[in-house]
Amino acid sequence: MANNLKNKLAVGKSKIGSGAERPHSYANILPYILVFPAVMVILLLYLYPFLSSFWKSFISKEGALSLANYEKTLHLYRYDILFTMGVTAFSTFIATVLSILVAVYLRLTKGWLANSIGILYRLPIFLPFVVIAQMMRSFLAPHGILNLFLAKLGLINIENPLQLFNWVGLTFGFVWKQAPFMILIILGGFQMIDNSYIEAAKSVGAKLPQIITKVLIPMNKPTILIAVTLVFCSLVGCFSFPYMLIGGKTPVTITVDIAHRVNYFGDYGVANALGVFSYILVSLLAIYYVKSMMKKGIYD
Amino acid sequence: MRKGGFRKTIEIIIFTLFMFFLFAPLFSMGIWSVALRWYWPNTLPQEIGLDYWLQALGITKSLTLGAVNVIPAFLLSLGIAIIVVIITMVIAIPAGYSLAKLKIPALLKGMILILFLLPRAFPQQPVFINLMLMFNKIGITGTVFGVILVHLVVGLVFAVWITASTFSSIPPELEEAARSVGASRLKAFLKVTLPISTPGLIASAVFVFLTSMDEFTGTFFIGIPFVTTLPMTLYSASGSNIQFASVIAILLLIPSILFMIIIQKFLKAEHLGGIGG
Repeated sequence: MANNLKNKLAVGKSKIGSGAERPHSYANILPYILVFPAVMVILLLYLYPFLSSFWKSFISKEGALSLANYEKTLHLYRYDILFTMGVTAFSTFIATVLSILVAVYLRLTKGWLANSIGILYRLPIFLPFVVIAQMMRSFLAPHGILNLFLAKLGLINIENPLQLFNWVGLTFGFVWKQAPFMILIILGGFQMIDNSYIEAAKSVGAKLPQIITKVLIPMNKPTILIAVTLVFCSLVGCFSFPYMLIGGKTPVTITVDIAHRVNYFGDYGVANALGVFSYILVSLLAIYYVKSMMKKGIYD
Repeated sequence: MRKGGFRKTIEIIIFTLFMFFLFAPLFSMGIWSVALRWYWPNTLPQEIGLDYWLQALGITKSLTLGAVNVIPAFLLSLGIAIIVVIITMVIAIPAGYSLAKLKIPALLKGMILILFLLPRAFPQQPVFINLMLMFNKIGITGTVFGVILVHLVVGLVFAVWITASTFSSIPPELEEAARSVGASRLKAFLKVTLPISTPGLIASAVFVFLTSMDEFTGTFFIGIPFVTTLPMTLYSASGSNIQFASVIAILLLIPSILFMIIIQKFLKAEHLGGIGG
């Protein structure tokens, strides 16, 4: 480290001394030296295991190159793969609609009600899924507060409570955590849209639904798409919440199947084939995300 | 006038629904953490008290099923998080600076950026499984060192993004001005760029701290059964004792809420979603 600092000092001095870019000075390799440790960590501890999940998914138990893992995966888990896709897409859809509505409300409304919602809605963003999992296990339980509350309102019979440790509870938790995150991103986009556009639309007779569909959403499309992408991709990969809410029951998400395959059977071939299916589920949106972030210049 | 009243009524209905869905789950967790006796179908517990809190915090001893003293787990999580923050920031600050301020050929830079975007876009669980196989070979699964490495990967991606965006928001003229009066590159960095970027760097460090405190999936595969961080104790209590699990969950969410309220204005909205996936 001390050596490194000395080198950097030397770089500064030599540049001032020469007054021009010297082709072989340290300044030319400084950018690479600085970025090298971070790149090495990601290459070794992320990219290598990421690529080996593809490779290992084609290696059978006997060590030969084959499609056996994929056959077994489709045979045992094709319903769970569809379940994962369905519940993730459904949760993302609900969260998107809900968050656009709340963001529109917060963009166009003033007053203490809107202000309090504007502050409080952020709370779930900061909670990890493992906490949300525990919370939902008590809230959505057959004898939990939600069922008690609905029974008090006379909406359900207390002897026959709603069973929510399934796709419904999963969707509820996913939306609870991710809709606020989407509101934050989408509202940020809405606030960039100048009031004059909304006023102009109003002056030619546009009502609220038209202002939403003709002005706010089209002008904010990239931001909404990024929010949808981030949420969908994170939900496909979410492990703790489905594992704690649904666990060993079926149907369950791919991530839970992967854990069972590894913990109970030590079957890394099928676990990796399942992993590849989860990559495929997010692939289109993931590629869109990487592309648009590259175009945007990412950290600007 | 009538129209205004109608809108206000709708607004209040929306507000009530919003408050219910936002706070009822939190309320459920809070009340379970103090429920000593709660027989169905009573709306509220018959007996409340801090017994489970005292047992979880190790103040009173307990023989209850699923009872755990969470203090060792909390200290372990805290220790791991502090080490992870130090290593991550030492690696991320130079990398972020280099990506934001220094000349790297476009093609190479593009490849590096894609490398740092992949973990954000693709599910990480299959990666952790293969990491576990790698760690098995060198004998570091089930060790604190292995868990630190996996937390490092999770935190580093965000730390590099946040530091890079912090550095790139600083006008290059400032550093150039310092260098034109004779300051070396290092001195210009230490005296000009670093002080201005301190809030962003602290935000990044706090973010990494929280990703480590809350990390579940990587620790589940790399750490279990020997490294029981706070999320792992929550997971094991969750199946056996709802009161203990609620106490641990509340202990876990306190630092998250506290720190994030402080640092959120320094972070880009897109990064905030990275907590506790």
